[in-house]
Amino acid sequence: MALFEARELHLRFGDRVVLENISLAFEAGCLSGIMGPNGAGKTTCFNVLTGRYRPDRGRVMFDGADITGRSPQAIARLGIARSFQLMNLFDEFTVFENVAIALPQTRKRGADPIGVAYGDAALVAEVHEILDTVGLGERVDQIAKSLPYGERRALEIAVALASRPKLLFLDEPTAGLGSDGRARLAELVHRLKGQVTLVVIEHDMEFLFSLADVISVIHWGQVIAQGSPAELRTNPWVKNSNLGKLA
Amino acid sequence: MRSGHRVPTLTPAMIAIWAAFATVPLWIEHIGLYQYLGVEILIFATYALAYNLVLGHSGLPSFGHGAFFGLGAYGFGLAQFHLVADLWFCLGAAVAAAALGGAIVAAFISHRRGIYYSLLTIAFGQVFWFIAIKSHAITGGEDGLLKIARLPARLGVVSFDLTHNISLFYFVLAVFVAVSLLLWRLVHSPFGRVLKAIKQNETRARFVGYDVWRYKAAVLVLSAGLSGLAGGLFAMAQSSAFPDVMSLHYSGYIVMMTLVGGGLVTFWGPVLGAIVFLLARDVIGAFTTGWMLWFGMLFVALVVYRPEGLGGLFLRPARAKPAAAK
Amino acid sequence: MSLLPHLVNGLALGLLFALLALGFMLILGLMEQINLAHGSLFALGAYFSFAIATPRLPLPPDLLHAWAAVPLGWRFTAAIFLAPVLVAPFGVVIERLMRRTYGRDPLYGLLLTFGAAMVIEDLIRIVWGTRDYMLPVPRGISGGFLMLDLIWSTYRFWAAGFAVIAMAVVWLVIERTRFGALVKAGAHDSEIVQALGHDLEKLRVWVFVLGTMMAAIAGVILAPIWGIRPHMGVDAVIPAFVIIVLGGVGSFWGAVLGGLLVGMVVGLSGAYASEWSMLSMYLLLILVVTFRARGLFGKKSVLEA
Repeated sequence: MALFEARELHLRFGDRVVLENISLAFEAGCLSGIMGPNGAGKTTCFNVLTGRYRPDRGRVMFDGADITGRSPQAIARLGIARSFQLMNLFDEFTVFENVAIALPQTRKRGADPIGVAYGDAALVAEVHEILDTVGLGERVDQIAKSLPYGERRALEIAVALASRPKLLFLDEPTAGLGSDGRARLAELVHRLKGQVTLVVIEHDMEFLFSLADVISVIHWGQVIAQGSPAELRTNPWVKNSNLGKLA
Repeated sequence: MRSGHRVPTLTPAMIAIWAAFATVPLWIEHIGLYQYLGVEILIFATYALAYNLVLGHSGLPSFGHGAFFGLGAYGFGLAQFHLVADLWFCLGAAVAAAALGGAIVAAFISHRRGIYYSLLTIAFGQVFWFIAIKSHAITGGEDGLLKIARLPARLGVVSFDLTHNISLFYFVLAVFVAVSLLLWRLVHSPFGRVLKAIKQNETRARFVGYDVWRYKAAVLVLSAGLSGLAGGLFAMAQSSAFPDVMSLHYSGYIVMMTLVGGGLVTFWGPVLGAIVFLLARDVIGAFTTGWMLWFGMLFVALVVYRPEGLGGLFLRPARAKPAAAK
Repeated sequence: MSLLPHLVNGLALGLLFALLALGFMLILGLMEQINLAHGSLFALGAYFSFAIATPRLPLPPDLLHAWAAVPLGWRFTAAIFLAPVLVAPFGVVIERLMRRTYGRDPLYGLLLTFGAAMVIEDLIRIVWGTRDYMLPVPRGISGGFLMLDLIWSTYRFWAAGFAVIAMAVVWLVIERTRFGALVKAGAHDSEIVQALGHDLEKLRVWVFVLGTMMAAIAGVILAPIWGIRPHMGVDAVIPAFVIIVLGGVGSFWGAVLGGLLVGMVVGLSGAYASEWSMLSMYLLLILVVTFRARGLFGKKSVLEA
């Protein structure tokens, strides 16, 4: 059975159907991609999968448990982390603290009102290790707000990694990055592949086709095609659409 | 906070502030002021620090904190009249009454933030204020609760009489030292850092696994309890408790003190704010009946031009550097 | 005891509450700014009308005598039109200061206007002292009348009717004029309005002036009922905000319905426990907002940021 499964998700905002009968399955250890044109419902779908919205119908299963409609914090604690398309950091915190606050050790001590916040040497070492992974080892003491765009992206991913997820959702990780930044990010995602199960929403077809094991195409709130990058290249719908031209 | 940077429990600034306060009774009368003002300043400084736990450290703009201060004042008086006339017990009752009030409010509003949080705290503040005014039988209504005694501080075999303003001053100073030390620790503890994280980005905090509701509820209860402690001290200092400390005016005053002093940017800002506010009241008030006219204008000017407050003026040059612990 | 008189009184009171909340609603709904000085502008309206109608104006004695000889009906009418004009500059000053907080946390607007409210309140104390005043009502609309064997206050009904007219005018201005369309657009997308070549700054000043004048008119109309005293501003701003949060931020009909509900609840609870009647509106607010987070007709707004 897949690590994560969504079955027949429906969601409407008012009288607008946003998701219609979406079923997705993400296998452990794989990198699954989700693509589709703007406004196709990709981010909304993500928000349902990670607990931000509750679906009107359908089930979300993770690791054999039904997590439909659970709160974001409950889902996060089960081992699902996400990054955001519009960057969502603790802006006033240093790079160090952005990651440190997301560690499960910190979370467990969250109710401690008098202890030292990050006094533990093991914790500090762990933060450094995560920051080294995403290439921010040199930026530890900088304020998040002051980082350049590409590094903020990397920090987003570091924060998501800090919660030691089994499954990591990345929402348009290359958005707003130049070709340099994309290359570096592709390299990072490639490194993460195998360490953690990844689900990536992406606009950049080249990026997704080179990294993903499986890709689902979402349009008009529905999954209209699914398969490996090779299969999708020959899919008539994908070929005929703008997406196909890019691919 | 920086990597591996430990914030010391005692800092030079902290000790300097405590020591400076300790000298106040020696000179305050020589500059034309009076001993009771020192007591009042310390009480409001304690209250403002407690209030800043929600405003500055958690980003929760409560506009009804007067209710908790007032609950503490009435709790102190009523416990003394109807239960046990013991200082520690009565202060405990003040904290408990205010924390209970805080818990009730928290249960309704902890999923809110921003302006809605302010508006609902105003509504709850008004409810408590209104009840205090109308429950003549319990609170004495608008006449207030009178003849509250300044109980002696019993510590085992010794007992300190607090009926004189100077001895009361040192007792209040001891409470101030304890509260400021506790809050300093708290702000730099894991709990405090989570609050700061929630203040910056509630959504993100939720997605890294924090139950934001509980933290917001807990911090309001804690802040309410400590505000109630200050309220209890105030009832003792005034020897009475009145509903007006629960009014929108007074709830606004504590926001003013905290902001004017720079509570949004520095830990000690609220203390500075309480000093400035009460000195302005007495000094400007000596020349004109409308002291709030001038203080209000100062406040408006600060909100418009220097929202980081007076404390922010001193900190300006240091802020360019990466956040050293303040 | 029959319920009917309380219902009728509650309805009339509700219309007056809605009138009171109207200016607050305009500034909040169209500019997304909380104006805690709303009550103080309301109070200024009451004080200015008192000065004009009684009359106590800083005028040469001859002129003052001549004005005092004019029938009260005319002086009262003049107060209704003049007082808002005299209060308007205060609104302009507040808006000018507030301008620097646009784009920042709306909390700063709230704090700024709280400070302004404190300043105006003390200004009133300095100019008029701390005593209470009563605004006299012209004979034609004062006194009472008999209906269903009960005595009703004529002025209350007159004031409620006035409130209906004022609300209709405001509704027409927002919904049926170019000005209304522009400010509504500006509240949601200031760039479009600017791209169309309109001066957003001027537009905002006008919205604020309109809100201020509505506050002042409410002050004049309510002064004969509630009396005139320095802290009437704070007493008035709280129901105004209760009504708006209850009705839903940004909704005209929400404000009207909120006003009516508050009036009814206060009126009815007044029948059984008059001491506690004002408490009922807070309990109503807390109840409604607990179940409907944005109030009755509220839309998503910056206030939730």
